[in-house]
Amino acid sequence: MVTKRQLGLLVVAIGIVGIAGIIAVDFLGAGDWSGFGPLQQMGTGLGVAAVIVGLILFQLGDRPA
Amino acid sequence: MTSTLQRVLKGFSILVTVLAILAYVGYLVIYVSYAVELFRWPFDYDQGEGFELYDAMLYSRGEWPYRDNASFPFYASNYPPLFHLLMVPLLPILGPRLIAGRLLSFTATVVTAGTIAVVVRRSVSGRDKDWLRAWFIPLVSGLGFLASNYVYQIGPLCRMHMTLVMFETLSIAFIAEFEDPEHGTRNLILGLLMLFCAGYTKQTAVFTVGAALSFVFLRDIRKALLAGSALALAAGAIFWLINSATDGAWWINIIQANVNEFDYRQTLFLFRQWFSLHTLFILLAAGYFVYELFWDRLSAYSLWFFFALGVGALSGKWGAGFGYFNTAVSAACLVSGIALARLDASKWRPFRKGTRLVVGNEDGRAFLTIMIPLLYLLQAPSMLHLPTSGPLFGPVAQFLGVNDKLAYGSDESLAPTHCAPVAYHDAMGYTQLGHPLTGADYAAGERIMEHVRAAEGPIFSEEAMFSILADKPVVTNPTQLLNLYNNGMLDTSEIIDYINQQRFDLVIFRAQFYPPPLLEAIGQNYQPVDHICMNGFTYHLLWPRRRLDRDIDILR
Repeated sequence: MVTKRQLGLLVVAIGIVGIAGIIAVDFLGAGDWSGFGPLQQMGTGLGVAAVIVGLILFQLGDRPA
Repeated sequence: MTSTLQRVLKGFSILVTVLAILAYVGYLVIYVSYAVELFRWPFDYDQGEGFELYDAMLYSRGEWPYRDNASFPFYASNYPPLFHLLMVPLLPILGPRLIAGRLLSFTATVVTAGTIAVVVRRSVSGRDKDWLRAWFIPLVSGLGFLASNYVYQIGPLCRMHMTLVMFETLSIAFIAEFEDPEHGTRNLILGLLMLFCAGYTKQTAVFTVGAALSFVFLRDIRKALLAGSALALAAGAIFWLINSATDGAWWINIIQANVNEFDYRQTLFLFRQWFSLHTLFILLAAGYFVYELFWDRLSAYSLWFFFALGVGALSGKWGAGFGYFNTAVSAACLVSGIALARLDASKWRPFRKGTRLVVGNEDGRAFLTIMIPLLYLLQAPSMLHLPTSGPLFGPVAQFLGVNDKLAYGSDESLAPTHCAPVAYHDAMGYTQLGHPLTGADYAAGERIMEHVRAAEGPIFSEEAMFSILADKPVVTNPTQLLNLYNNGMLDTSEIIDYINQQRFDLVIFRAQFYPPPLLEAIGQNYQPVDHICMNGFTYHLLWPRRRLDRDIDILR
């Protein structure tokens, strides 16, 4: 059984990996837009939201997720 | 609460309940009427229908629809096989006609609605089963699914979308009960089987697979790993077998051809539209997901709702559209129903006097019996869609003031892509589906068929039904050719040779969704001879130049 804390950690990890991936796209030269495109902005917003949700879940301790 | 107030509240509760039921039953009548209309219509209503039927015809002959697009007849399917295989037993009974797929798809929507109602009803424990929870909420949750503009429009089409949603809904309903002490293992196996079926109906099922396995993972990691491995093994083995049997055409047509250009603005537009049409269902489902995430345990249903948003996010893909939201509509209807059914009357204290609560449990119940039907009633107009003509719907449309707010516009406001208005109003505004057909449409279809029958040999048609009805081979799947061309995976030399040699006696265009080099070749070798308005679209009929000299008399 997964706890809220474990789920929180997972969600934070997904958020951070997602944000890193979105930033890495620019270094790899992918995408149609020069600079930080609208999809990247949305993706980063979702990534930050995931990190916040994950941190809240982390605080909820060992309750079952 | 005084007895007078109680009587007034009870009367109001009955009134809004009856009105809400009437509204959703009204949508059901509109849906059934539209479905019956489509069962009779022999031609493509949606451009992809005939191709799905053709896939079933190929299976019934023991042939694969995953082929080399570069050689005659330049046809391949871009969907997995299950929907088409389910159609095969119907073909000997109904013939190679669209009604086989339309009946199947319509039935799938009814099964989905029934599953939603059953799941919502089962979500309430025996103690709380009053008429509101036992009947009203499950009933309207199921009918709400059929009342969705998206489900209505796609439901009775010979397309695989709704069969996918049926398998997805059934899979989640089974997997949600995988911890049942008596039938847990059976439920898990059935759920996995439904997931397998969903995946082999349409590729977007991968999000529901993610939701189901995530739910099992949260509860029992070992079972999740076992279930995931079993599913991957079974799905992978079939995938490999089909790919081997089709010399790799399966991989090209199912996976590579579906990697299309993505327009995030289309996704945002469709998310906004989906939200504005289904606001109540979505807000309740989202609220229930948040509640479970932070205050309770996540259920399979709310996880499914969350994952279904992922399918919606793909709707910006070229060739995608609002159909990508049908899974989310089903999930939203289901989860919102559970959310309302689980509202605990004892926690509602709507009437206060100063700071002291003066009402009890019964008042809370009275409040819910008004509020819940009222919420459903307020949601109903957001999804408004109905024909604006006919003895039944005409007066209703006039009463609602939408008889001149037509899906394609009319007169000067007629959408430039259409040749005639349609007697149909939809709250989503412009839409190519959902309208009734007219006698003029049938006559136009017959006129096109006269051209088809007069042509020698195969024709080059953007819609498959003209060829199927005339017992001619289906040549090309235009959007598939375009997908492959856009991905640099289509060798157009043979098909352009065929066009240059004018080997097709007739070309029928509707949207001209062909790769540009093919359109150019046709422009050089073929000439328009007729333009026929059918179903609101102009069908352009072209003859090869060699035939113009030979058969010019037919045109006169």
